[in-house]
Amino acid sequence: MNSRARRPPKNAMTPPDKSDPMHVPILKQGPYLIASIQSALTDSDLFQLRDDLVERVGRARSRGVIIDVTVLEVMDSFACRVLRDLVNMIKLRGAEAVIVGIQPEVAFAMVQLGLSLEGAVTALDLEEGLAYLDRQVGGGRGRGR
Amino acid sequence: MAELPDRSLTHKMGLTREEITRRKEFLELDDKDVERLRGLHDLAGQYANAVIEEFYNHLLGFREGREFFRDAAVLERVKVAQKKYFLELTGGSYGESYVESRLQIGLAHERINLPIQLYLGMYNFYLRAIASRFLDAQKAKPAEAFQNFLSVLKLVFFDMGLAIETYIHERESTIVTQQEAIRELSTPVLRLRDRLLIMPIIGVIDSHRASQLTQHLLQRIRTDRAKVVVMDITGVPTVDSAVANHLSQAVQASRLMGATVIVTGLSAEVAQTLVRLGVDLTKVRTVGDLQEGIEEAEQLLGYELARPPAAEKRDDPA
Repeated sequence: MNSRARRPPKNAMTPPDKSDPMHVPILKQGPYLIASIQSALTDSDLFQLRDDLVERVGRARSRGVIIDVTVLEVMDSFACRVLRDLVNMIKLRGAEAVIVGIQPEVAFAMVQLGLSLEGAVTALDLEEGLAYLDRQVGGGRGRGR
Repeated sequence: MAELPDRSLTHKMGLTREEITRRKEFLELDDKDVERLRGLHDLAGQYANAVIEEFYNHLLGFREGREFFRDAAVLERVKVAQKKYFLELTGGSYGESYVESRLQIGLAHERINLPIQLYLGMYNFYLRAIASRFLDAQKAKPAEAFQNFLSVLKLVFFDMGLAIETYIHERESTIVTQQEAIRELSTPVLRLRDRLLIMPIIGVIDSHRASQLTQHLLQRIRTDRAKVVVMDITGVPTVDSAVANHLSQAVQASRLMGATVIVTGLSAEVAQTLVRLGVDLTKVRTVGDLQEGIEEAEQLLGYELARPPAAEKRDDPA
């Protein structure tokens, strides 16, 4: 994992961020939203991401959402629960959701901890996620609003 | 005596000079004993042939012994080696090269699968034969003879320790090689088509192998961008709840990476045990055999298998 080297030391990002959570960039791509996580997230960052995304889905009238977790090296039970909730909330707002980019090591650690993201759709990477949404939503990406 | 080569048994088995010294200290095999042993050398030379002859007569009286020495030429050769060995006991030099030669002898016996009890029995026989001869030689000073005997006893126990160790060392290294072989064998992941992997599992699955196999599979899903994996377990002799649990972990981890796993080759017995054990494999997609598994995988990937029209015509004479 070369991303480990690029990541700032852990103590640099935990306590002070509490009041000012990091915003995960959410990109609009046609009828889809792509939340692209850039670095390890604290618990409050995760809540922030959840709130932002659930809100944006309605505002942008998106048909599908992709949550890209490629850079995450750890997925604990808390993160899994928040992500699963997020997926269910997005579904309630009438959009499809896919989690993409879970790394082999992370996937292995997750099943060992008994975390399986029950009910959430997962795909290999962003490309696969988009292909899945295209199939589900029916229309091509070109027909964006 | 540092001139022993690095690939000598002494080195391989980690018997450093300190270790050898420590063992001798433990047996209280000291310079006085060495002195006594050296003093016995001439005496040993006188009775060596007779003792060895007696020993082999004794050995050949047993079925196990006869099996090892059917060939008279071999027997002669062994007797010569035995005599050398016997005289080394009173050679007066018990350093690294002595240890090495003991280990080599132990190894030679291990290689021909000589049972350890025969090996130890030999020591017992020698000790008894020597004891009576010592007494005969020093009728006037039985205490002295007994001291001599004790010195030999210490050395013999030193030797026995080494012999047993070669046996253990050999068996252990066999186990290690076999474990490596199993590990090598354990996880071939083959690419059958674009985005389709097959993984035939053969042999027993323990938790170590299962985790290795899962990690390997996940890596391959990543690098090959696989969407479907067909995992064939026809070659897994027993599937109990632990194995089923490992399999379903692999399936779930693959799912997290967006790949579907199809498990094939569950035999009738396996199906019966799993249901009887109450193992829940409903989350795992299972299909009868590898062929069906591959067909289903191709379907999932959107492949359609069709014969070219020419072939159809050839099959159908009408």
